[in-house]
Amino acid sequence: MSALFRTTALLATLVGALSLTPAFAQDKVISTPQGDVTIARVPEKVLVQDWAVFDDLSAMGVAVAGVPSSNAPTYLADQIPADAIQIGSLFEPDFEGIAAAEADVYFVAARSAAAFETSKDIVPTIDLSVDNTDIVAGVKANMVKLGDIFDMADHATALNDELDAKLAEVKAAAEGKGTALVLVTNAGKLGVYGPDSRVSWIYNNVGMASALADVADGDHGGDAVSFEFLLEVNPDWVFVVDRDAGTGENAGSAEALLDNELFNQTTAAKEGQIVYLDPQASYISMHGYQGVMLLLDQVLEGLNG
Amino acid sequence: MPLLLAILVTALLALVSLFVGVSDVSLPALLAGTAEPRAVEVFIVSRVPRTLALVLAGASMAIGGLVMQMVVRNRFVEPSTTGTSESAALGFLTVTLLAPGWPLMAKMAVSALFALGGTALFLRILKAVPLRDVLLVPLVGIMLGGVIGALTAFIAYRVNLMASLLAWNMGDFSGVIRGRYELLWIGLVCCVLAYVAADRFTVAGMGKDFTTNLGLNYKRVMTLGLVIVSLVSAVVLVSVGSIPFLGLIVPNIVSLMVGDNMRRTVPWVTVGGAAMVLACDIVGRLIRFPYEIPIAVVMGVVGAAVFLYLLLRTPRHAA
Repeated sequence: MSALFRTTALLATLVGALSLTPAFAQDKVISTPQGDVTIARVPEKVLVQDWAVFDDLSAMGVAVAGVPSSNAPTYLADQIPADAIQIGSLFEPDFEGIAAAEADVYFVAARSAAAFETSKDIVPTIDLSVDNTDIVAGVKANMVKLGDIFDMADHATALNDELDAKLAEVKAAAEGKGTALVLVTNAGKLGVYGPDSRVSWIYNNVGMASALADVADGDHGGDAVSFEFLLEVNPDWVFVVDRDAGTGENAGSAEALLDNELFNQTTAAKEGQIVYLDPQASYISMHGYQGVMLLLDQVLEGLNG
Repeated sequence: MPLLLAILVTALLALVSLFVGVSDVSLPALLAGTAEPRAVEVFIVSRVPRTLALVLAGASMAIGGLVMQMVVRNRFVEPSTTGTSESAALGFLTVTLLAPGWPLMAKMAVSALFALGGTALFLRILKAVPLRDVLLVPLVGIMLGGVIGALTAFIAYRVNLMASLLAWNMGDFSGVIRGRYELLWIGLVCCVLAYVAADRFTVAGMGKDFTTNLGLNYKRVMTLGLVIVSLVSAVVLVSVGSIPFLGLIVPNIVSLMVGDNMRRTVPWVTVGGAAMVLACDIVGRLIRFPYEIPIAVVMGVVGAAVFLYLLLRTPRHAA
């Protein structure tokens, strides 16, 4: 009996000791849209090819060593480390630079998701693409995933709770406010962002009714429409993504475009219910945690007048 | 007379264009004076300007193509092969960056100035190039356009305005309402100018020596032609964006029908260009109603098919 007991005790001790050695025992399997990826330990050197993921990591307080070399959103500008290496544009990763960086993990998403096939052989690659039909759920899932990868699950949960709280607040403010339409303005032309678009959360999560309810609502993401269309659809609220405001300020070209005889007859224009959204948070890093929080704040401010 | 018939068809297309749209505007109600005030307003503020814009842009782009082809003596050149469109885009980008809040008219004016500057530069370079080979003219223009376009794209890329640049290069009449198309009237002036100078262009189209022997200043005719071309393409580009193939196919079809005497072809090309653009825009408005398909897309499909037909049907006139 005592021999068996000793053996068992020994085994238990061994198992205990093994589980305490983190470097080898804590292989994590992260599921991504492009298959499972195994991460050997908590990554230290992190590369990011997508500003939304950078936004998430920055919100978590994770240091980032490599960032995209273009289209940096203004609201993230002071969070980007000055010594970060640049690893190519949003669409075209600099694979040589990425290989040379010898990073522990490399994040791609959305525009750079196609890089996965090449980069997975160079560096452990994780795809954090978010499906536009439920952006909030996607952002939260990404935060949980990042919390898992970087052993910061509690922090991720806390941030997600904040997002939920903010969303509930906006949802309450939006209650009974009527219909909404998200417009994208680009070079003097109008487009409509519908419930499958980059800012779909205004309809799907905040719960504002789409002004397009009466109109056949396809899979449009910025489809061209005329001012006549706006007059007929007559939204109560208009949220504007000004794609001409490339420098990150709502520089007024969208306002100039919308100030015309036809649009001024819509309820939104008459009541002054027009909200200009941060253009970069809404079309460059539309799946970023801080970006969504920023946009929610802007919507809240607009709704509360 | 077949020209009258063509004008009638174009007028019919214009009429259809007036009554295709999201709002409910009906011809009988308008005529009887029983239309709702809003329908009348939509008609005046949106439909009439759009139809006018289509006619003006179509006619002037086609004329621009015709003049370009006469001056360059090459059937397969386009008005956009002089670096003009690229300069216009650069101008629009510059004004968007420096004064984003300016009214559209002011932006248009700045852009047109840039386009003229670009064309002036083109003419300057042409002076330094021996003009024996007609293909050299569009080649020089394409290269200049490439350089200016690269500069524009570089700036747009740095300041995240690639989306706007793409939109300017994608012709689309959906944003046209009263107050946003008027610069296109300059295109009409260009059409008239082309008609007045038609005989000179016809002569110039027969070559430099022939022109000089007849006592005409070849260079001056050439310059007038290029000014017309650049002005037209600049105005159209900043008003609605570029429309592919139009300046190429309309003059070619007309040339197949009535020959190369510009006094005869100018009215045909004017009407043909207007009809082509009207038809393509009506199609673009109807395919995904109430959303729109940019005319550049429709025109690209139709134009490419016609262009292929022209290439396969006729022997190459180009050098």
